[in-house]
Amino acid sequence: MATQLQVLYDFIRTEIGYDGALSPDIDLLERQILDSFSIVQLAVFIQERFQIELEAEDLVRANLGRLSNMIALIDRKKAAKGQLGNQGNG
Amino acid sequence: MPRSIPRFLCETAERLPDKTAIVSKTRSVTFSQLRDEALATAECMRELGVQPGDRVGICMEKTVDQVSAILGVLFANAIVVPILPRLKQTNIRHIIENSGMAALITDSERLTEVSEFADMTKLITGHGAIDNNWPNLPYLRRFIQPRLFFNSIGADNAAIIYSSGSTGRPKGILIAHRNLADGADIVAEYLDTREVDRIGCVLSFNFDYGMNQIWQTILKGATLYLHDLALPNDLFALVAKESITALPVMPVIITKMFDKRLKLATASYDFSALRYVCSTGGRLSADMLNDLKATFPTAKIYSMFGLTEAFRSTYLEPDKLDTHPTSIGKAIPDCQVLVLDENGEECPPNVIGELVHRGATVTKGYWHDPENTAKVFRTHPRFPGETLVFSGDKVVRDEDGYLYFIARGDEMIKTKGFRVSPTEVEAEVTHHPEIVDAVAIAVPNIAVGEDIACAYTTISGQPLPEPTLRQYLKGQLPSHMVPTYLIYFGSFPITGNAGKLDRKAIKQATFERLGIEEEAGDSRSLRALIQNE
Repeated sequence: MATQLQVLYDFIRTEIGYDGALSPDIDLLERQILDSFSIVQLAVFIQERFQIELEAEDLVRANLGRLSNMIALIDRKKAAKGQLGNQGNG
Repeated sequence: MPRSIPRFLCETAERLPDKTAIVSKTRSVTFSQLRDEALATAECMRELGVQPGDRVGICMEKTVDQVSAILGVLFANAIVVPILPRLKQTNIRHIIENSGMAALITDSERLTEVSEFADMTKLITGHGAIDNNWPNLPYLRRFIQPRLFFNSIGADNAAIIYSSGSTGRPKGILIAHRNLADGADIVAEYLDTREVDRIGCVLSFNFDYGMNQIWQTILKGATLYLHDLALPNDLFALVAKESITALPVMPVIITKMFDKRLKLATASYDFSALRYVCSTGGRLSADMLNDLKATFPTAKIYSMFGLTEAFRSTYLEPDKLDTHPTSIGKAIPDCQVLVLDENGEECPPNVIGELVHRGATVTKGYWHDPENTAKVFRTHPRFPGETLVFSGDKVVRDEDGYLYFIARGDEMIKTKGFRVSPTEVEAEVTHHPEIVDAVAIAVPNIAVGEDIACAYTTISGQPLPEPTLRQYLKGQLPSHMVPTYLIYFGSFPITGNAGKLDRKAIKQATFERLGIEEEAGDSRSLRALIQNE
């Protein structure tokens, strides 16, 4: 099964159409890999693909500006979901 | 010193030396610091060989350093040429060549991208790390004594803003110092921008509307907060936490702010400091107005209209928004808007004519393009010796003098706040080795103004796989110019005898394929429009 990072890489390559170098810690907005349209696309994708619900306080640049931030967010949301006794096990 | 942005800055720095002028994520400056940075930048430019009247490109992210660079070029008696950082190399090359650019100021991160222009223009780093190959303004400023040698007059050139034309390459609109000063005065007057204002700036400084926020800030001694809009919740946090009082936006920004796919934090914040939201660059839809009113109940909403050739033409008073929601309002102060018929006669109320603008904000014409200048910047017998801007836009005036936008006169596509030339899109699409012909079409979408649809035919007579074609176009075009819809045609209809592509029929067929109705345009009842039904 693809890692979360791989899933995000694939999305950025195929859906966003970026084919340059990627790494978990680069600022995707500053490097103009994402813009204000595609970051929303990515946020929507993350919710659907990882079956998590992102609240208003999650949907900020500090959580979605870098791939490492996104993965931390996904893990956090999944863990919270698990604790609530939902079926989420990723 | 004549009335100009440099003079406004000197006066405000004298009056409010320690007041915060600009705030960004990483640093902020007071008015005296901003003046000193601008003066030091000007001195650097002079030592680097920039002469009065030289064109200096600025291709930078929105930072305090970008503002210092823009102001420094003005103080050096040189001409600012903003370049959108997202532009592709071919467009940047065109602007460098067309303007005869003496120097190009850019961010250190962009240097490798622009290094191919090193033999055409002097490259200067305006922001970021020091590089041994190119002068670095933030570094040099530390060793340079700020010195005032600004001596341009109001009629001298201050900026050239490149904007797409309906044919060929982007044209440079030539703007005088006096235009910038008048633009600051006029807008600050009707928006009542004041010293206490904290302006939230999500706009870029690559076009007149964005730069006008700097001018107003400097004129009035307000404070400008720089923000790059990516996720709306970050903007809402800024507006609340910094008690932003003024928020200039565009329809595409409003669409992003209230994206229904995202949960928004609007309810958890207090926006009561916000005095006004102003918008230009397209019509505000009922949804946009509702979102703005619901989120910012204390803010007045100003809907404005204009074209870069005359900066700004009209605005609608906020209290008329309910009674005249589809109107673009009336002329801004110190300007007059005429509605003229083909013979140059004033149209009576409810008769459609061309928007013709006269007054303070009329710019000087297109840079090195007398032919196109003569088409748009013209005289009228009623106003001897005066140049008016003939916009080409079709408008109508009601009995009370309120103006309504009907249609653009050119074939430009207005998308996401950009003017896009169909010809430029078509040129890049037909560069694809498999594609024979292409026709770019504007598809109405109030969220972004218009989407771009591109119909194409191929050598093989087979459609191209969309993801690869899209990927190819993303490599060739700035993102705002990549068509939203790519539509394959086996062949294109041709007009009768001329053998030209029948653009009208292609447009119609494209609309059918997309399942949308042809633009209401002419058939739309004037009465319905004016009565705001």
